[in-house]
Amino acid sequence: MKWKFDSQHILKSKITWAVVAELLILLVCLIIRPEFFEISYQESTGMLYGSIIDILNRSSEITIIALGMTLVIALAGTDLSVGAVVALSGAIGLKLMRWDMSEYPTAGNYSVTPLIWVFLVALGICFLFGCFNGLMVSRFGLQPIIATLVLMVAGRGVAQIITNGRQMTTNFAPFKFISQGSVLFLPMPIIITAVIFILMVLLTRKTSFGMFVEAVGINPRASRVSGLRSSLIIFSAYAITGLLAGISGLIYASRIGQNDSNNAGINYEMDAILAVVIGGTSMSGGKFSLAGTVMGSIIIRTIITFVYYFGVAAEAIMAFKALIVLVVIVLQAEPVREFISKRRKARKTAIRGELHG
Amino acid sequence: MDERTMRIRRQSFLNRVLNPRYIMVYATIGVFLLIYLFGALMYGDIGFTTIRTFLNMFIDNAYFGISAVGMTMVLITGGIDLSVAAIAALTGMFIAYGNTILGIDPFLCIAFAMVIGIGMGALMGAMIHYLNVPPFITTLTGMFLARGVCSMISSESVAINNDAFNALAGWKVNVMKLVDGVWVKVKPIAFINLNVLLFLFVMLLGAYLLKSTKFGRNVYAVGGNEQSAKLMGLPVARTKILVYAFNGLCSVLMGVSYALYVKSGWALALMGGELDVITMAVIGGTLLTGGVGYMLGTFFGVMLKSIIPALITFNGNLLSWWGKIATGALLLLFIGIQRIVVTYSAKRKGKAADCVSKKT
Repeated sequence: MKWKFDSQHILKSKITWAVVAELLILLVCLIIRPEFFEISYQESTGMLYGSIIDILNRSSEITIIALGMTLVIALAGTDLSVGAVVALSGAIGLKLMRWDMSEYPTAGNYSVTPLIWVFLVALGICFLFGCFNGLMVSRFGLQPIIATLVLMVAGRGVAQIITNGRQMTTNFAPFKFISQGSVLFLPMPIIITAVIFILMVLLTRKTSFGMFVEAVGINPRASRVSGLRSSLIIFSAYAITGLLAGISGLIYASRIGQNDSNNAGINYEMDAILAVVIGGTSMSGGKFSLAGTVMGSIIIRTIITFVYYFGVAAEAIMAFKALIVLVVIVLQAEPVREFISKRRKARKTAIRGELHG
Repeated sequence: MDERTMRIRRQSFLNRVLNPRYIMVYATIGVFLLIYLFGALMYGDIGFTTIRTFLNMFIDNAYFGISAVGMTMVLITGGIDLSVAAIAALTGMFIAYGNTILGIDPFLCIAFAMVIGIGMGALMGAMIHYLNVPPFITTLTGMFLARGVCSMISSESVAINNDAFNALAGWKVNVMKLVDGVWVKVKPIAFINLNVLLFLFVMLLGAYLLKSTKFGRNVYAVGGNEQSAKLMGLPVARTKILVYAFNGLCSVLMGVSYALYVKSGWALALMGGELDVITMAVIGGTLLTGGVGYMLGTFFGVMLKSIIPALITFNGNLLSWWGKIATGALLLLFIGIQRIVVTYSAKRKGKAADCVSKKT
């Protein structure tokens, strides 16, 4: 891909607004407290610390889900079930590790099931949940919001029944490593997110899958007529999202060291959808931007960190989020963008008119 | 009246009743009756069939029902509103904080909440129409905003201690029966309260608006095909904004009703309630693609959604989480039926392909 630094192109690109918004928030941080950007290295854990690292670290759960959600939204769909899948994944993982919960109630540094099986089973079931969503939308042609609402409602119930409504804790070190460990001085979640991001970019930009997704998102009938198996593409987008939500759920469970079927992944679907939309992917489907999605997720987390860091009442997070999102979506709205570009053009022609006339 | 006119009348009545448009409503009513029958057979001996159990289903879900009326209208226009529960929580907070901490008359607080709720609804409707922002995102922002403001007012639960308000909350009408010429209360004591009346009133108002007013026809027209509605010269912008404003009003009423029910205001009240409300409307036969939906269906959607917890309570052994799974299964059943009905009627019109690709 060739990079062109053309002002028109940059202004038209939707990700620009996301980057501008993020930079504005960071600028405010810089003005109020420059130490916001400090990054320190701790010998004992071999990890970097600082607000910026923390933003990246904590945003990883949403980012991972939002990467899958980007494909789903590019196909003019939505997946409301991801929050429930996050809870489910944690519940299955903890259940497998702490099968002996009733005999040994205290958490220890061990796991009943080998960790590889924990991952395989938990992620496998989440993948199946994703497949179920995909089947409902692609094969049976159901409205995505409603089709995924089924698992959103039922998924949390399943998670509760698996764990019998209990919270199980674990101190199993390899499992905790997923969230607390570090590779290359960076916390593990950042590494996992980066790997998934790269894989997704390769999948969508180095194979024709990404182009197919955009084609189906722009016009499902036309792409079917021209020989694309649109239902297979829609199906795989939901399946991938289910799998990614499962990964996110395991990271979350590892972070808090337990399963929490009531609160794990609450509102994740909303945050993930917001991240995608802030990142410039339209809800009506079509072109998508994975980098934009990552940016969107980071913006959401920056707002939260900002609010905590500056001691603004933590309760204000929601309202802050709403205001930022409001600004971004209004700037991205088609009529507003048209209006802006029309004014630019009008100015240009006016200048040209002066020159020639 | 001669035989022929009678026959024609009977036939047109039958045609109207058997119209495939009503199949979803019949399905909802049928499934509700089946589940009720099941409950009656299984738990009839421990009081499932009493008037009290039946009325309690209303009392415990009246606030959801109020919001479901507005939601049905929004869904018929092809939109969606995720902000309802947040606006309801905000209303409760206004009443609780305004009265308990600031000492303002609770009814003034309700009036203020109504202004805010209707204003927010109208604003979201305008954003959706004029800026072309998807309803999902617009109302999601509204939800975050309302919840945020709500928790900025107070992050803790605030109790309502107003005498007039509590009198309203405690007001009830007992169900009586005539025994030997004397009116006595039925046993076990059954009653309806203000919430139930409010629910029924809003439901009837919604049904009237949809069925018998120009506004209602516009709602169906906009949901059926916005482009055609615009070409026909219908006031699309006004209709959409009014629908969201009406839904804002319903959300506020849900908040009032919930405040009467729990007598407190809390920033996290009714968390996730918007999806319960949407579920009720969908179970009641409203299509998310717009253009189809009836208040009667929504009414039975509310009943169906509330009979499940009742059944689980009567069973006593089941964990309450089975309720969620059962709700999911019900939803699945109804969207399955919807799918079949839509495909069938589309085939009848000979444009199945159009419909399938319309909004998938």
